[in-house]
Amino acid sequence: MTGLFPGFLILSAAMFSVGAVGVLVRRNPLVVFMSIELMLNAANLALITYARYTHTMAGQVFALIVIAVAASEVVVGLALITGVYRSGHKLNLDELSEMSE
Amino acid sequence: MTTLLSLPPWFPLHFVPASNLVGILPVLIVGGGSVLVLLADLAVPRRGNLVLPVISGVVVLGALGTAVGQWILNATNPVVFNGAFADDRFALFADFVVLLTALAVICLSPGYLRRRGMEEGEYYILLLASLTGMLVLSGATNLIVIFLGVELLSIPLYVLAGFARDEPLSQEAAMKYLLLGGFASGFLLYGMALIYGETGHTGLAAIHQQLLQGALSHSFDPMLLAGIALLSVGLLFKVSAAPFQWWTPDVYQGSPAIVTTFMSVATKVAAFAVFLRLFSATLAPYRSEWEVPIAVVAIISMVFGNLVAVAQTSVKRVLAYSGIAQAGYILIGVAVGSPDGTQAALYYLAAYAFMNTGAFAVLTILSQRGEDCDRYSQLAGLWRRQPLLAGLMALFMLSLAGFPMTVGFFGKFFLFSAAIHDGQLPLAIWGILTSAVSLFYYLRVILVMFTAVPDADSDTAPTLAGLSLEGTAVASSTAASVGIPAGVVVVLAGVGTVVLGIFPALIYTLLQGITVVHG
Repeated sequence: MTGLFPGFLILSAAMFSVGAVGVLVRRNPLVVFMSIELMLNAANLALITYARYTHTMAGQVFALIVIAVAASEVVVGLALITGVYRSGHKLNLDELSEMSE
Repeated sequence: MTTLLSLPPWFPLHFVPASNLVGILPVLIVGGGSVLVLLADLAVPRRGNLVLPVISGVVVLGALGTAVGQWILNATNPVVFNGAFADDRFALFADFVVLLTALAVICLSPGYLRRRGMEEGEYYILLLASLTGMLVLSGATNLIVIFLGVELLSIPLYVLAGFARDEPLSQEAAMKYLLLGGFASGFLLYGMALIYGETGHTGLAAIHQQLLQGALSHSFDPMLLAGIALLSVGLLFKVSAAPFQWWTPDVYQGSPAIVTTFMSVATKVAAFAVFLRLFSATLAPYRSEWEVPIAVVAIISMVFGNLVAVAQTSVKRVLAYSGIAQAGYILIGVAVGSPDGTQAALYYLAAYAFMNTGAFAVLTILSQRGEDCDRYSQLAGLWRRQPLLAGLMALFMLSLAGFPMTVGFFGKFFLFSAAIHDGQLPLAIWGILTSAVSLFYYLRVILVMFTAVPDADSDTAPTLAGLSLEGTAVASSTAASVGIPAGVVVVLAGVGTVVLGIFPALIYTLLQGITVVHG
């Protein structure tokens, strides 16, 4: 395991970066939302790797809680995105800018 | 652990020591109240009655009473759940501010929701759920609990921001808040993962011990610093400090005014509570590393918020940029790091609650069907139509600008003097300079209200004198019953702004001796 430890962390950092870049460059709110989930799951991977590395359970508990929280965030988020779509908006963040100065 | 009372075995949480449950009683009351309102919403007829706001108000009052009781009976080591949650006076003070704000919002809600045609029971459920998250956050002394608090606070607010379902601006606000809030949560969580990985703990006390050892040997772990940086980004986002403020103006402008009231005050107080706890206690050993970045963020927020606010045409946007600037002022208290700084920041949060709730409350009262009171033209000539409201709004604007004899003056005074005592003169100078700039846009609101003649647009605005602040369209007896609480809230906020501006000791003595516990 210890041999794989940096590997998992690098994978987690890569996932986080892909997610963060995705939020910044993609314009479809669904894809942006997926990128956010990717960031949260990157953190989960880091938490579990560290839990194994430090021989503590807190990281695994934390990851389980994050999974539950992310699920509820998805429920609310998809409902909001559906609501925006139904109200006649195109699903493009660049066109979602009626307020600006 | 000694138990004050033993719970019977049929009780849902009987395996938890009762002292723990007593410690989180305000959280339990508000969280339970949210479920109660959910059930009551099914039982009562849908529209036009005050059952749900009354239940919500009683719940919040109950939590407030419990928090006062905990303050009076303050235990020596008020940490519960194995150091995961603290009900120390620091948390209780933040609870007071958050709960009073929530109470004001609940008093303002029935009239506002009726005028805007959004009377839905879900509003109160979501409000109480978000309030639960804030109470969790103010006492959290464990990374897991902090994350739970942040999410419990945010997720109901995403929905509340989009509560005006027919209005594109509200939908846009909800979408932006959701996506950018989620983005910030990602940073927050990854920062927590790195801190946990490098220290092996999620409890703040244990993390503090690890940091002390590292700081003693002058070896600052780079991964740990990265974790602290990511965590700070997530939290700075929640308190809307520049340069992490992109969401604030759009979300504040697009959300229904009553939601903006709650969001701008209560969220900021709760997020700053955890911010202060983390930085003034847990991360104190690493102060040499984070002091400068936090001070820079404070200065950027003050300069950016105050300068951009000058150019706005929407009153809600002005208040949003003003909120960014206020976040900068409070960050001075964090950057100073001394107990003085923490107390000054807490004082400013309380002052901010009074003046900002008051200012937004005036906007909610003036809002009509279909649109919030948001343009300068809608405030034009307010002095002639509603002298009391105009006078109070002027008072709140002066207080936000930091005029003497208002609570905002002492808020700024304590912060700047704490910075000077700590040898951080530049922070105080930037604060004073940007306060001078802020006078420009606060005075412009006052000028519009007192001198401009209302244009054709605002002829339809409610033209009632005195406290019966309901539109003339609704002239029944229930109009008074929703108009009077709203009027009382605004007047009380105004009284608080003046009284605390003359006798700052009323709050400051409460703050003396508050020490931050971190589990």
